[in-house]
Amino acid sequence: MSTSPVKTANLTTTQMAEQVLDQVMSAGATGDLIVDEGETLSLKACDGELEEYKVSSSRIFGLRVIKNGHIGTAYSEAVDADALGSMVGQALNNASFGKVESHENILPNSEHLKTDDELLCPQEQVSIEQKIEMALEIERKLTAKDKVKNVPYNGVQDITSQRQIFSSAGLNALTRSRMCASYAYALVEDGEKNAMQGSSQVSRLFSGLSASTIIDKTYDKCIGLLDGKPVPSKHYDVIFDTECQVSAFAVFAMMFSGKAAKDGINPMRDKIGSVIADSRLTIYDHPLNVDGFGYHLFDAEGTATEKTELVIDGCLQTLIHNSATASYFDTKTTGHASRGPRSTLGVNLHQVEIARGSEDLSALHSGEYLELTDLTGLHSGANAISGNFSFGASGYLCKDGERIQAVRAITVAGNFYEMLNKISMIGNQQNWNEGRSALMPSIRFSDVAISG
Amino acid sequence: MLNSQTAESVIDHALSLGADFAELFVEKNETNVVSTLSDEVQSVESGINFGIGLRLVYGTKVLYGYTNKTDQDELLRIASVLAAKDLRDPVSTLKSFNFNQISDIHPARKILSVDAEIESKVAYLMAADRAARAAGEQISQTRGSCMQREQHVEIFNSEGLHTNDRRNYIRSSLTAIASDAGEQATGSWNDGGLLGWEIEAGINPQHTGEEAARQALVNLTAKPCPSGRMPVIIGNGFGGVIFHEACGHLLETTSVAKKASVFHDQLGEMIASSIVNAVDDGTMANEWGSINIDDEGMPTQRTQLIKDGQLTNFLVDRIGAQQTGFARSGSGRRESYKFAPASRMRNTFIEPGDAKMDDMIASIDKGIYASHMGGGSVQPGTGEFNFAVTEGYYIENGKIQYPVKAATLISTGPKVLKEISMIGQDFSLACGMCGSISGAVPTTVGQATLKVDDILVGGNA
Repeated sequence: MSTSPVKTANLTTTQMAEQVLDQVMSAGATGDLIVDEGETLSLKACDGELEEYKVSSSRIFGLRVIKNGHIGTAYSEAVDADALGSMVGQALNNASFGKVESHENILPNSEHLKTDDELLCPQEQVSIEQKIEMALEIERKLTAKDKVKNVPYNGVQDITSQRQIFSSAGLNALTRSRMCASYAYALVEDGEKNAMQGSSQVSRLFSGLSASTIIDKTYDKCIGLLDGKPVPSKHYDVIFDTECQVSAFAVFAMMFSGKAAKDGINPMRDKIGSVIADSRLTIYDHPLNVDGFGYHLFDAEGTATEKTELVIDGCLQTLIHNSATASYFDTKTTGHASRGPRSTLGVNLHQVEIARGSEDLSALHSGEYLELTDLTGLHSGANAISGNFSFGASGYLCKDGERIQAVRAITVAGNFYEMLNKISMIGNQQNWNEGRSALMPSIRFSDVAISG
Repeated sequence: MLNSQTAESVIDHALSLGADFAELFVEKNETNVVSTLSDEVQSVESGINFGIGLRLVYGTKVLYGYTNKTDQDELLRIASVLAAKDLRDPVSTLKSFNFNQISDIHPARKILSVDAEIESKVAYLMAADRAARAAGEQISQTRGSCMQREQHVEIFNSEGLHTNDRRNYIRSSLTAIASDAGEQATGSWNDGGLLGWEIEAGINPQHTGEEAARQALVNLTAKPCPSGRMPVIIGNGFGGVIFHEACGHLLETTSVAKKASVFHDQLGEMIASSIVNAVDDGTMANEWGSINIDDEGMPTQRTQLIKDGQLTNFLVDRIGAQQTGFARSGSGRRESYKFAPASRMRNTFIEPGDAKMDDMIASIDKGIYASHMGGGSVQPGTGEFNFAVTEGYYIENGKIQYPVKAATLISTGPKVLKEISMIGQDFSLACGMCGSISGAVPTTVGQATLKVDDILVGGNA
């Protein structure tokens, strides 16, 4: 497939995008182009000194073309004329091998969209020395605490990223965001006993980070589990902490995917309108909650997002769709199109929110239950198609809100989709996870298999 | 890929800023992925990654930056930004570049830059799909993938090193989905290597499809797995992930140097059962985890990690060598130019023994045979690991009883290595991706079928 080279010298990103899409249209195709750019500062400390100082700048172009109903994608991190011309040629060539996807089209969306920089990408007066000092402080003060052997994984990051989406229909969408983060994982030892735990935090501003919060939280988690031991194998009531609960829901997020339903692997495909969970469970996707880092004003096709009701009172309301999966199921896109520069069109949840329940802490924490604060093997121990899972776990055996024994070296196993019907109570307070990507109350599940 | 004069200017500049050591890692990486959904092509994706990583070392402090740009001014700017807080009078001078043409011990013929061979890959995946669906009416769908990558790297450093390498990766896989009465289960098979599409001659789509389908059909009938502490027989090939997680990560100087590994002070000690011999070998011809040189430019090696149960070596990169005093082992690896290198595994395996499978099964009153393993993870500081069983069977009274599902094995590295009591003869390797501090790199795991006397099985029965 021959294409004329794009001339890129001294051109802006928008001008380069226009030239790429001109080439696409000249070849009788339509297309859209994602341009991701980013700058990152990453700091790590070891033994009181700065161990790693990393700066980066990156840019990548990702093209999707549609020609005679065939889809092709290609990407390039090189942005010289030859590279971008080659990218167009590759995308067109790749399209020639695919089946006709009659449902996938470039949306007739010519809007110019831009998110609020002051909201998502605020700036502040902060020096590199202050960031370095925070990295050193976290490592130094944690290391100085009783029983802490070292803090092998720690860091402070300041990441600015920008995404532009252009289409042959005239779409020009820009979003820019900033995320500052800090994290620490400490190893504590006491004789033969040891434990390694960590925590993290994110903020739009560096001034929103707190070294003392990371230090105290990480230390408390480590010390809390130092004396951990297994509990007898049996079925327990279980409350996952917010991190674990968000992770578990994320592992099985495919249950809401219109793309997975189209591909025949979503077990919820035929259950819209059916009860799939306890009647007290209500789940939204809420991309317009500005307090979270899953905030999105528009999706990867430039479709405006909105709060989506996924499960209301235990009943599945909808799957999430991009324009292609929506067309396949003869419904409307829900504004959940996802696509990276290297990937094809898919769907993704933006920011899951579970509605608060009615139980206060004293009710939620009544009697005996296991509070699980760490799950391992999430990437390998779960099957989102069947719902079966088996994870390593740590946490606490609790009674009436009191932690009476630290618990380690256990597994938690079951079927996630069945567990949604074994909800005992839902708390009346919502909490963000550390990455501020989901907002959920505590849920108490009953009859969960624990092996120790 | 990068002009030597530009490289010299940038490294000279870095040394003038007081760095002890400076290195440029230039990478161009072309990838093509063919994906199928049952008997249709789902997508063909391709692209080029390109960038340059600049590493400056002051003492044991690593300063790292990267960019997609190749112009000298940008690279000089990054060097200046990185060194801004560490400026001092020069302590090193650049030795003249001495280009070292490596010998390619992993030759490839059908490489991506010559022809992506898309029709041939589609034909292979279609044949595998047909074989899977012919295995049973309950096979409702297959998902196939064939990934080919051609990575060019060029490395310059202030010690005068100038070398390059071309790495050709190929990997194909098929996942079969079996459905019955609302239940779904999966099975998969994959092949891969450090070579081109000539791998096709050595792999069989019929076997790929049938094996993926067989696992899916077995899992469809599997019962909840009993739980508790019990002996476990771990299958060959990808079963080696147990050693990878339980021990391999703990022998990387990335964690050893920080004393964040339970084995950091165990060199020369008996850390495993005396029947265990373990190796990490980057030299195995055309294996998925092999390399010619590591990502610091050092020729790769075969490293004996454990000999007769005794810890004999760590996996050591440049910084790890500086911090621990151990000799480098050609193990400095990274996912791409976006990562500073770190000590990482290559082809890691337990060497075969002489036990017979029947004897292993017969030796167990109540236990599990984990014939196929999924992935896992480890906490190096404590040695706690977990990994998933993707095909397993319950053993009772010395006989296999029935298939089980949703099982996870957890233990700690130091404990499980001492619990290995029998090692079989059916040695094989399997490829995977290993994620760690320097990103995801291709690694091979391997072993013969072996028996662990005591491990916690997490099940749902």
